[in-house]
Formats: sequence, C-alpha cells, structure tokens
Amino acid sequence: MKELIQIGLLIGGCSLGILSIASFWIPKVLGWKEKLAGLTPLMRELFWTYSFYVWSSHVFFAVLTLGFGDWLMSGTGAAVAMNGFMLFWWSVRLYLQFFGFDLTEVAGNRFNRIAKHLLTLLFTGLVVLFAGLLCWNLGWFEPGGLR
Amino acid sequence: MNTHLLEAGLRIAGLILSGLFVANFVAAKRWDYAGNLAGTEVMVRQVFYVHCAYIIAIIAALALLCLGWPGLLLEGGMARIVCGFFGLFWGSRVVVQLTYYDKETRRRDRGWDVFFLGVFITLALIFTLATIYQ
Repeated sequence: MKELIQIGLLIGGCSLGILSIASFWIPKVLGWKEKLAGLTPLMRELFWTYSFYVWSSHVFFAVLTLGFGDWLMSGTGAAVAMNGFMLFWWSVRLYLQFFGFDLTEVAGNRFNRIAKHLLTLLFTGLVVLFAGLLCWNLGWFEPGGLR
Repeated sequence: MNTHLLEAGLRIAGLILSGLFVANFVAAKRWDYAGNLAGTEVMVRQVFYVHCAYIIAIIAALALLCLGWPGLLLEGGMARIVCGFFGLFWGSRVVVQLTYYDKETRRRDRGWDVFFLGVFITLALIFTLATIYQ
C-alpha cells in the first residue's frame, strides 16, 4: 500500500503542477478580461486577487505533494490536518464540477470538452489520493486498522 | 525567541484570522457583491463566489489551527514550510494592497485601508517569525 500511495503522490503532484501551469490559460480561454470589464474596479481587483491566492494554494499543494510526500505519510497530527484539508478542498471542487458550475455559457468545442473531462478526472484522482493518505495516516490500512 | 512566545503569537494570529473570517461576510454586504455581479455572466459570478469561498476556507482552517493546535505549526521542518507559505501569503497581500488596489477606493475608505494593512502586516510578521525562529 505504501508504494501505491507514493506513486499516487508522484502522479498527483505532477498533475497539480500541470494544473498550476495550465491555469495561466484559463482567463484567456474563458475571456475573463472582457467579461470583467463592466465591473467596478474594486470587484475586478477582488476577482483577480482571489484567483491569484487560489492559484498560489494549488502551487503550494503541488510543492507539498511532490517534495514532502514522506511528511504527508508520517502519521503525525499535522499530516492528518493537512491531508484532511486537501481532501475537503478537492471534494468540494469535485462536487462543484458536477453540480455547481453552469457551463452553458462556455463554448462547447472539442478543446473545452476534453479540458472538462480531464479536470473531472484530475479532481476525482486528487480526492482518491488525499482520502487514501488520510486513511493511511489514521492507520486504517494497517492489519486490523479499521475497527 | 522561545516556543511559548511563538505559540502566543500564533494564537493572536488565530484571533485576527477569526476576525478576518467574519470581515469577509461583512465586506460582501458592504460592497454589495451580489448587486455588482448581477449584470455579469453566470460563469464570472460562479468563479468569483467559488474563489471567495475557498479563500474563506483557508482563513477558517488556519484560524482553527492557530487557535487550537499552534504547536503543530512549530514542530519539524514541514511546519516551517507551512509557516513560510503563510508568511509569503500575507506578505504578498500587503504588496497587493499597496500596489494593485485602486487608489481612489482606498482613499475613500482610508480608515479600513490602514486597518487591513495593519492586519496583513501583523499576520505576515507572525508567520515569518514562526518560520525563522522555530
């Protein structure tokens, strides 16, 4: 199981890295600049500020997952807290992917369809990974761990 | 700097973050997010609210950690990485406030502008000190 989670961490970390890089294209693909033009300066600034900090959190998660896998598997209280938070983060994002976002205004071209399916796959994978890590840290994967 | 002092600092940060958590809801009402976003496309509205909710979630989780388990932020190399991230997080928020936000809006609400600058500087200092001295 340990090896499986380590492989998951590598794949999850790389995927988060790719997501962080690909995020630079999201404003262009979804035409944020034009769509935000009608807002007041404060609302525009808030929009970009929130987006920047959510993006920086994704970068931080990628660094944690790729560079500090041993710590994420250490079984300490801090590891449980961090994995629990990341599980919550991606579970909410997965829920929003299916039930939250109204994508009717996004062009239904092939590129956008593929991107949507890849994102769904990524969010599902991250939920599985961090749920697995949480169970690992709580000792549920050890023989007799789930009582 | 001793551990007790750093723990006390992190608990103070927890209290400040709790205030910031509440302030996010007050800000939504004061600056009429709903009214301002009413004319925009659904996607823009949804992204705004989702990002806003995630930022509030980070603030709430960090407040909980600082108030309930400050020791977790002072144990081992990983704690240093987490504190370092939040030192950068809040430090960059000071830079954003000073260089990016509309000067006219800031001038109109000078009291709140200075207050929140103080809040962000304090949080940046506490997490940076926790990174360096733990």
